[in-house]
Amino acid sequence: MTTHFVNLLEDLRRRSARMASLVEDIVQEACESVLDANESLAERVIERDNDVDTEEVVVESEVIRLMALYQPVGSDLRLLCAILKINNDLERIADCAVNMAERARHMNRQAMSPQRDVITEMGLSVRDMLRNAIQAFATEDVEIAQSTFARDQHVDALYEKIIKQIVVEGAASSNGMAERLDVLSVAKNLERIADHATNIAEDVIFLATGEIVRHGDVAAKMKQD
Amino acid sequence: MVSQMQSDKLESPRQGFDTPRFDPDVLPPLSPALETVIRAETVTIRYGDFAAVRDVSLKIPDHHVTAIIGPSGCGKSTFLRAINRMNDFIPQMSISGSLLYRGENIYRTRCDPVDLRRRIGMVFQKPNPFPKTIFKNVAWGAAINGYRGNIDDLVEKSLRQAAIWDEVKDKLHQSAFALSGGQQQRLCIARAIALQPDVLLMDEPCSALDPIATALIEDLIDQLKKNFTVVLVTHNMQQAARVSNFTAFMYMGELIEFDKTDTIFTKPNKQRTQDYITGRFG
Repeated sequence: MTTHFVNLLEDLRRRSARMASLVEDIVQEACESVLDANESLAERVIERDNDVDTEEVVVESEVIRLMALYQPVGSDLRLLCAILKINNDLERIADCAVNMAERARHMNRQAMSPQRDVITEMGLSVRDMLRNAIQAFATEDVEIAQSTFARDQHVDALYEKIIKQIVVEGAASSNGMAERLDVLSVAKNLERIADHATNIAEDVIFLATGEIVRHGDVAAKMKQD
Repeated sequence: MVSQMQSDKLESPRQGFDTPRFDPDVLPPLSPALETVIRAETVTIRYGDFAAVRDVSLKIPDHHVTAIIGPSGCGKSTFLRAINRMNDFIPQMSISGSLLYRGENIYRTRCDPVDLRRRIGMVFQKPNPFPKTIFKNVAWGAAINGYRGNIDDLVEKSLRQAAIWDEVKDKLHQSAFALSGGQQQRLCIARAIALQPDVLLMDEPCSALDPIATALIEDLIDQLKKNFTVVLVTHNMQQAARVSNFTAFMYMGELIEFDKTDTIFTKPNKQRTQDYITGRFG
């Protein structure tokens, strides 16, 4: 029975990793659809989100089933908890990608031009973060997971930069406000994806070490108690 | 019984072993507020030449539940039974090291084992009520120990503390054998409690019970720690996780890890603990 459980756990880990790859692909396509104003690619992102939704339910159901039937402890429990939480973050990342794709459907390349460089840089940084977090999950590598956190600050800084640019432009002219809101929405969703990638990295640290590093002060206080 | 601890002066506990096994890291991370009731330091218990327990050091805290887990033959029951000298009855048993109850050496010459067992009661794997009425099962120990209070009150209080009063209050003078297995086990706990012990040792107290009776005993253990220190040996790791505050993992006579139960079952520090609790061996 133990071997059977270990095999089921490995199957689930692989399934979750496949879902992570799918989400990584979708984010890349969402970024491209925005930057190229590619409507068909945007449609593809929206369609592929259904696959992510289905996978989310399958993975969650399997986690619950394994918990109920095998009452895992130790590293097995941590793995199932991490898969469950990462599963949720992956699904939310795909939702953010869909939000970006929906904007891409009616954006044009010119509307993007003032912020194009910053959005491009944000997209690259966010995809890099996501790739890192997913790699950390696959290898249970704490160092790779930790490297994700610093990049999140960079993404936040880029997001702030876009907000400032849009505020300045909006003050100068009310023309093109709808386009600016589209750009702001794309930036916001990229920033959210970075946050979810950070969550995944935090869950990887929990998986590998048992330490909850989220909300550092709270975790430290709980440890003292 | 061959006791090598009949004086307070201890023999070398590591005699016969290649390497010293005393590891201060396995002592539980008790806060200064937690008082130690039982303290073992490099305790080794042998049956003839065979060392069933080897250099075990741990501190059992007051008013908490401490579980001892490990595969069959790891020495957990031997260690538990050493705490109230139940192993004294086993021929060729010898013990070395230091086993202290509230600072007093349990195996010193002056220690009266009968008095010790009054302070450190025991509940066994299979319910073993006396062939007497429910009332007498509880009252007997106190009566022969010269209890001077109101025996009716003591019986009621003990049965209430063992969470069985409501089920037996109308049939106190019926045979204890008329009770179900789970009720008999709670009666045995009431019998142990009636002597007003300080510590309750429980050796697989639920292994002969169905899931409902087990749940009742587990609830009871949680209540008991308010008044007693409980040391529980169990094969059921989920039970250890549910009811204990601290868990000791033993393997092949050695204490591998001792820590807060949460830590043992979520992020154990030793690989062997990890392998055992996740069912990779054992």
